[in-house]
Amino acid sequence: MANVELALKEATTVIEGAIGAALVDYTSGMALGTLGGGKDLDLTVAAAGNTDVVRAKVRTMEMLGLNDEIEDILITLGSQYHLIRLLRSRGSQGLFLYLALDKQRANLAMARHQLKKIEAELEV
Amino acid sequence: MSGIVMVPAEAEAEILAELRRLRARVPQLTGVLAASADGLVLAQDTAATEAESVAALTAAALGVAQRLSDTTGQGGFRELLVRGEHGYVATYAAGDTAVLTLIAEPRANVGRLHLEARRSSLRIAELIDHTLGRRGPGAPA
Repeated sequence: MANVELALKEATTVIEGAIGAALVDYTSGMALGTLGGGKDLDLTVAAAGNTDVVRAKVRTMEMLGLNDEIEDILITLGSQYHLIRLLRSRGSQGLFLYLALDKQRANLAMARHQLKKIEAELEV
Repeated sequence: MSGIVMVPAEAEAEILAELRRLRARVPQLTGVLAASADGLVLAQDTAATEAESVAALTAAALGVAQRLSDTTGQGGFRELLVRGEHGYVATYAAGDTAVLTLIAEPRANVGRLHLEARRSSLRIAELIDHTLGRRGPGAPA
């Protein structure tokens, strides 16, 4: 079991092409932890903005009557991948992991697999 | 924080426009107001009519928050967030003489609230400073 700092460190070092990672509480839009990003990617802004993305998808699913849950969300940019993975273990509902990847260096299938593993081992 | 802020009508209109932009960007807001640090409403955009009393209470809370920040060595006042059972009230410093107070629904995105309100409070501070600057050195600061 890994804590928040460890999980973010693993996400940004083990996953090839990682630019930055954050653990976000989407009930408030605030980050529980951020790592990387730098001046080109403000992870606080990303946390607040992607909270709206997750909320919009949750609402859409409710409106469609889909009795299901979101596992992850992939956003493909020209030069980056943004991966959002919702935490599903008991006691960590309402949180998501956010990972920004450099499209040139990243292996999407591997990144998704590794993020799933990090999420499973994360204890908040 | 001290001093009395008097803003002319055109500055009030600009502050109000800023408050309306803020409400458009954060849809979960139910009210916004800019007040002087001593509790007078400068501009407001709220459905409810309690702006005067909110501004007065904001001034009182500001006094306590300022002392709390000072006593614990945290420096000047920046912001104050209150979460009630039915929503949030947040106050942000807008320069040294004014504050921006927001009232939001419980489902508000607080991360976004902070981002947008910090930007708006900077702009409101600039508007007030600009107004005071234009009125020359005799103006209250």
